[in-house]
Amino acid sequence: MTQISNLTQSRSFSFALIALLAVVMALLPFFAPRAVVQDLFMILALTVLALNWNMLAGFAGLVSVGQQAFVGIGAYTAFAGVILYGLDPLTGVLIAGIVAMVLSIPVAFFTFRLNGAYFAIATWVVADILRLAFSQWKAVGGGTGTSLPKGTTKDMLGVQAIKDALDVSSAAAADTMLYWLVLALALVTLVASYMFLRSRMGLGLQAIRDNVNAARSVGVDPLRLKALVFLLTAFGTGICGALIFLQLGRITPNSAFAVTDWTAFVIFIVVIGGIGTLPGPIIGAVVFYILKRLLSDYGSVYLIVLGLIGIAIMLFARRGLWGMLKERTGFDLLPLSHRPPAAVQTTKEGALT
Amino acid sequence: MFTRRNFLQTSAAVAAVGLAAPALAQGTRVKLGYVSPQTGPLSAFSAADKFMVDKFLAAAPGLGLDVEVIVKDSQSNPNRAAEVAKELVSRDEVNLLLVASTPETTNPVCSVGEAEEIPVISTVAPWQPWFIGQQGNPQDPASWQGFDYAYHFFWGLEDAIAVFLGMWNSADTNKAVGALWPNDADGNAWASPVGMPPALAEAGFKLTDPGRYQNLTDDFSAQINAFKQSGADILVGIPIPPDFTTFWTQAKQQGLNPKIVTMAKALLFPESVQALGPLGHNLTSEVWWTPNHPFKSSLTGESSAQLAAGFEAAAKRQWTQPVGFVHAMFEVAADAIKRAEDPTDGDALAKAVAATKLDSIVGRIEFGRDNVPEFARANVSKTPLVGGQWRRKDDGNFDLVIVENAQAPEIPRGGDLELLG
Repeated sequence: MTQISNLTQSRSFSFALIALLAVVMALLPFFAPRAVVQDLFMILALTVLALNWNMLAGFAGLVSVGQQAFVGIGAYTAFAGVILYGLDPLTGVLIAGIVAMVLSIPVAFFTFRLNGAYFAIATWVVADILRLAFSQWKAVGGGTGTSLPKGTTKDMLGVQAIKDALDVSSAAAADTMLYWLVLALALVTLVASYMFLRSRMGLGLQAIRDNVNAARSVGVDPLRLKALVFLLTAFGTGICGALIFLQLGRITPNSAFAVTDWTAFVIFIVVIGGIGTLPGPIIGAVVFYILKRLLSDYGSVYLIVLGLIGIAIMLFARRGLWGMLKERTGFDLLPLSHRPPAAVQTTKEGALT
Repeated sequence: MFTRRNFLQTSAAVAAVGLAAPALAQGTRVKLGYVSPQTGPLSAFSAADKFMVDKFLAAAPGLGLDVEVIVKDSQSNPNRAAEVAKELVSRDEVNLLLVASTPETTNPVCSVGEAEEIPVISTVAPWQPWFIGQQGNPQDPASWQGFDYAYHFFWGLEDAIAVFLGMWNSADTNKAVGALWPNDADGNAWASPVGMPPALAEAGFKLTDPGRYQNLTDDFSAQINAFKQSGADILVGIPIPPDFTTFWTQAKQQGLNPKIVTMAKALLFPESVQALGPLGHNLTSEVWWTPNHPFKSSLTGESSAQLAAGFEAAAKRQWTQPVGFVHAMFEVAADAIKRAEDPTDGDALAKAVAATKLDSIVGRIEFGRDNVPEFARANVSKTPLVGGQWRRKDDGNFDLVIVENAQAPEIPRGGDLELLG
């Protein structure tokens, strides 16, 4: 019984903590300097990418190395919407998510025929095909890339209001707007992931990851569930990609479809934070960002150090930083475990009662 | 570069979060943020950075300037370039951004400067990929807009084309040209209707263009075959250095024997030519700056030769062309800060940069001159360009000899164009 009440307590504590954190972070632009807002933007964006990748690899067993495909598609959709069709960037962001999700259907159709390492390589191939295809799209600059037209972010919905309310430059107001959007996206992703994983479907998903045949034998349809997760994460990743590149203001095929920036670093984040847990990617994103800030001025040494840290954690803390913390303290945030079913009574003859 | 210092600054900034108070007044220190590719495939462009920053900081007090320079590495990555530029603006609160070396570095930084209303002085990228590459839709000239804060000095494709044609016309060839243009900012600009194809047609050259290829390709057989079939005597292109090494080695193996090979970007640095060994002899390239350029620094009064000698002594390596341009970038910065009403005010400083009229180590820098098309005139100042040929010496080192100077007769020629053996 104590375990059950522990779980319930831990759950309500988690929700209270997350709600408090969300409120504090939402209010941050009112008093914190702009540099902090920009830092948090990147941390939150990486968190969203990491949560999505964690859903794929940590829960659905889909180890994709091609998530940069959806970052790039999202970013290019938003840019094309703004540049070619004169849309408001915020409309562009929403369309970006939808286009990424629609595109993930044919991607899933082809790559789902493969498993494990073959699936990983196939997703990478898809991402590179897209990178090469977008290098040919001349209206958004081809291989040269393109910048957002002058003043686009200033005219974005809500930016003028923020500018007046906070009395800041329009560039800072645009930063704030994008920060709130990515904060909302991170919260929605986190809550949606939690609810999904706690649901029947989530349980089925984790069953598939652990043993496909066993899951099928109890009536779980692996293909349907995996495809659903793939589509939903493509949606989130696409929106996140659009936000990141609206913040950067400039796009090239090589930067939008960069396997290091949008997949390798994200895998690093999930691995050091703790794969297959929800707080893991969040902690990983914070740790990664701090490392990046401290080390990136040292040139290539920085990447070597990241690699060494990754290897060390894989060898000595297999469940990541969060897993280690949980083991040491027994404390858990957003626990995903279910109450075990009541013990089954058996008679002496071994028959079920 | 300055890593320890940056580290300390970062830590201090993290510690002092919330205490930042932008007290801007005349006579305060002016902060400059410099972004360049110090690591990664473009790092050869940044060899002179540390030397030039030190030189600028040493010269500044004598000119009555109180300046600080914060150097950031783009890691040859456009995402990273935009990110560090944003950091320089919001965290370090710089008053002026400086950026050099290839559109992949200059364009993201200029976009940030323009959005943040912080002036940018940019160089070392032909002006077309710089100006047109930053437009939302590069295909629609009617939509192109000038910049209020970004200013650029370098040469343009029209200058490079004139130099190349000058070199090619001085020799006896079949006037068939093969082009090696990648699908990146530079390659697309060269291959576009504002680039080389119309100019070649007009000058009576026949062009074979096998299409844009991706950077870091490892097989150039398709291109080599196309050039063989068209019997091209002349090859032109703007590959990145590792690609040219691959291409040229394969071309020789497959029996392609052109008379002239003129490559932009790939043949700028002695290291890249030395890597080719005997295959590097008599390759030609555009030349933006040499120790023989008859110009003087407005910061230190040194001649080109003295500046190059100083760099060679300090860095213990051969001079490179960016040496002059990185120095000139600091010349423009110092001059604009001196003239600005309030150098800590973005608009006032941008106004001062726009009004630059300076005789620098790379020639005259002045915006709004009529040698640039009207749409880009306010933001672009052109510097002189000549053509050079790499000559291999007996010890395996290479000398860059100027063989074509019709565009800039004030820069002396060192010899005549020699054909490949």
